[in-house]
Amino acid sequence: MSNPLALLGRAATYLALSLAAFVSVFPFVWMAIAATNTSPDIIKGKATPGTALFDNIGTFLTSVDLPRVLFNSFFIAGVGTALTLLVSSLAGYGFEMFRSRFREKLFGGLLLMLSIPFAALMIPLFVMMANLKFINTYQAIILPTVAWVFIIFYFRQATKAFPHELRDAARIDGLKEWQIFLFVYMPVMRSTYAAATIIVFMMHWNNYLWPLIVLQTNDMFTLTLAVAALSAGYTPDFGLVMVGAIVATLPTLVIFFLLQRRFVEGMLGAVK
Amino acid sequence: MTRMSTGLKRSLAVAMASVSMFSVTAASAAEILVWCWDPNFNGATMEEAFSRYQAEHPDDTIRVEIFDKAAMEQKLQTQLASGTTEGLPDIVLIEDYRAQKYLLSFPGAFEPLTDQIDYSAFAPYKVEVATVDGQTYSMPFDSGVTGLFYRADKLEEAGYTAADLENITWDELIAIGQDVMEKTGETLLPIDPNASDLFRIMMQSAGTWYFDADGNVTIADNPVFHEVLSTYQRILAGGITKPVSGWTEYTGSFTSGDTLATPTGVWMTATIKANPDQSGQWGVAPVPRMGDVESSVNASNLGGSSWYVLSSAPQKDLAIDFLKSVWGSDVDFYQEILVNQGALGTYMPAREGEAFQASDEFFGGQPVWQNFSNWLAEIPAVNYGIFTEEADSAVVAQIPAITSGGNIDEIVAAIDAQVRQQTQ
Repeated sequence: MSNPLALLGRAATYLALSLAAFVSVFPFVWMAIAATNTSPDIIKGKATPGTALFDNIGTFLTSVDLPRVLFNSFFIAGVGTALTLLVSSLAGYGFEMFRSRFREKLFGGLLLMLSIPFAALMIPLFVMMANLKFINTYQAIILPTVAWVFIIFYFRQATKAFPHELRDAARIDGLKEWQIFLFVYMPVMRSTYAAATIIVFMMHWNNYLWPLIVLQTNDMFTLTLAVAALSAGYTPDFGLVMVGAIVATLPTLVIFFLLQRRFVEGMLGAVK
Repeated sequence: MTRMSTGLKRSLAVAMASVSMFSVTAASAAEILVWCWDPNFNGATMEEAFSRYQAEHPDDTIRVEIFDKAAMEQKLQTQLASGTTEGLPDIVLIEDYRAQKYLLSFPGAFEPLTDQIDYSAFAPYKVEVATVDGQTYSMPFDSGVTGLFYRADKLEEAGYTAADLENITWDELIAIGQDVMEKTGETLLPIDPNASDLFRIMMQSAGTWYFDADGNVTIADNPVFHEVLSTYQRILAGGITKPVSGWTEYTGSFTSGDTLATPTGVWMTATIKANPDQSGQWGVAPVPRMGDVESSVNASNLGGSSWYVLSSAPQKDLAIDFLKSVWGSDVDFYQEILVNQGALGTYMPAREGEAFQASDEFFGGQPVWQNFSNWLAEIPAVNYGIFTEEADSAVVAQIPAITSGGNIDEIVAAIDAQVRQQTQ
């Protein structure tokens, strides 16, 4: 048997971990319970499962055009993620693999852009989109994120671990630069891509402020906007809002579990 | 022109004809776009209003887009600041507290309606909030006239009737609360230490605000403001309050019976009536006044909003005509939205209608709407200015100091300094 001190240490570890687990899981449990209760019950603080789940789901389906907003959300997040990954990873790859006199200055400038809050960019961006006649379109949401500094930075860091020998070998084999990127770099870096997919997809999925400003009609709304609109009003139906919150959470949850293993690998560094 | 070929002329003529035909169709079947923030309240009343207008204008339609309130404000602000009018609605709902901010920050963005609407038919305080340089911009909508909502059944157990709550002062309310606490052990009021509602109610009841009629800060030099803070301090020291945090906990407190009363806007009626099992157990009294302030009356305001037409609106004339002919003259319409949405309009002739006269069994048969509209006419007008939000947060920052019994003069000076610093 282990000594009592080690046992105490283990107990403390488990206690701390349980506490942390409780803190992070409790909001989800509460959300699920609240979805089964009526709004007045939720306001009164009822924390036991109720019987109003199907009523809440019914109200949700009548107040939100679910197929339409799901399509909007998946289209924007899907196309947006694909384009962002392609362009930003290409940039990250380029920054690391090709030397030039201005490389570090340019990259420093890019990183500096990370510190500009979005609120400061919103108005000029809106004017730009209005001039392009892109207001209330998918491209107005997708285009500004295609070259995403954080993802460029992330790919550049990951590319540091990409063996230059691989590229040299590919060159000797007669591959063109774009072929090296597509057929050598991308397969090797698939864990990095998986992790980036989760980050970018979640960002697109939860994106609220910019779509809110630039989308004008209900039929263009994303799920996040539609759910946020549910809590509009002086006396929101909280049961309905909770059903909406669950529906909005599920897709990211599914994607995270699907890519979980790769996500952890990607975070640790893709190339072993 | 003579050198233009016949073919070109002909196609030009066809093009122009089709353009004019196009605009004719557009004029005869137009769509008014409205932005607001409550599907069951302002959104529903707007739909109802338009269905009445549509009876005589069958080709026109309305599209009401609902957003979360803060979200809608952000959207409007961004688009107005960007200077592009594309995508802006014809009519937008703006909260009264923020009206001056929008009107003064974006001159020319909203359409003055002074020549179009007879404002003498509306509650004066409501017209005042939408007036800049003699021009009024709003179609007044709902009132935030305040009342003291209370659990009549519980107060009766302690020996208090409706008459005991008529036209009382805050200090009298504190005494009642203490007596109730002694007899029943129950707490009278919920208090949210992060909310400025009570301050707003007390200030407006005395016809004063953080700013004077010209928008200058009047806090340290305003004796009424001192009295507002010390009244608040006495309420908290009186042991008749229970702290709550946030809106949900606040409304949950009195709808669950945890606390017995709350002074708030008439729009709270819907939240209270959402608990049908409490029917007959509620009452509404006039909001208390400040006993030591002569100008303070038993009537005040909390919240409320109005409709504004944008100058850039594609359907501006139609929108104005619609607002005028329903919101500006239809007494029956106001009965309808009172019954269905619990929306108390500020169009004074509507008071004579049937629904306004009716008594409500939920409130023990009191003629609540009649009472509210009588109090409505008595609300003192104030200038909310541009910086009400900033002043509010300066007050909220000092609530802990007020609660812990701090020196009111020092606290007022601190608030005054913070507001002046932020509004320079």
